[in-house]
Amino acid sequence: MTVSDRSRRTSSAVFVYVLVLVAFQVFLLTVAVDAFQTDHESLAWAAAAVSVTLAAAAAAFLKYLRP
Amino acid sequence: MSDIDAPDGDQPVWKRDFPYEAAAEEEVTRREFTRYLVLGAGTMAAGNVGLAVWTHLRSINTGEPRAIAPVAAIEVGDSYMFRYPTDDDPAVLVRLGENEIVAFSQKCTHLGCVVYYQPEEQRWHCPCHEGNFELRTGAVLSGPPTRPLGRIDVEIRDDGQIWALGRPV
Repeated sequence: MTVSDRSRRTSSAVFVYVLVLVAFQVFLLTVAVDAFQTDHESLAWAAAAVSVTLAAAAAAFLKYLRP
Repeated sequence: MSDIDAPDGDQPVWKRDFPYEAAAEEEVTRREFTRYLVLGAGTMAAGNVGLAVWTHLRSINTGEPRAIAPVAAIEVGDSYMFRYPTDDDPAVLVRLGENEIVAFSQKCTHLGCVVYYQPEEQRWHCPCHEGNFELRTGAVLSGPPTRPLGRIDVEIRDDGQIWALGRPV
């Protein structure tokens, strides 16, 4: 495998990983809405904390994505 | 210079035959697309934090003491629906005895459906997913809910009214 191929594959993996993170964000949003509807405050904060962490991780991965 | 602008001899055959240029034909790079994804993730994270703050603000509103209904208007064994602490919060009380009244938020703690008093079973029942709660304490009896119903403190005052005093934190 050439350096270019390896670089392209790594770049694709990062892209897919970010895509998965965003899909998980949608799930967390539904969890937060459920928590809001049932006044479950601790669940709402937990969902928000995980969501912020994932968004930060996605932003960090963007930095390593090949231009 | 794009292919479409190239002299006829330099263009692929298909482009000579179909010389159309689609809107935004320029490629969106993977990095640009991922940037949009990250922006979307950030927006959803902000939404999550906003929902958490909103949930918190609602939970700290435990309500001000307020007259609900004349006690004489509710027979022993009957239920009465009202709204507390805000007009968006359905609640229900049951008069269990001459001077015994219990009140709860009507929101099921599973997914927020409305719970009803079942006099024959002496319990609160959520018809959405068959959740059941104990009549006096609101504790979960069966079904998918894991948390008890939100209790509302009530008392009968000398003016003959049932007063809601607040939600315990």
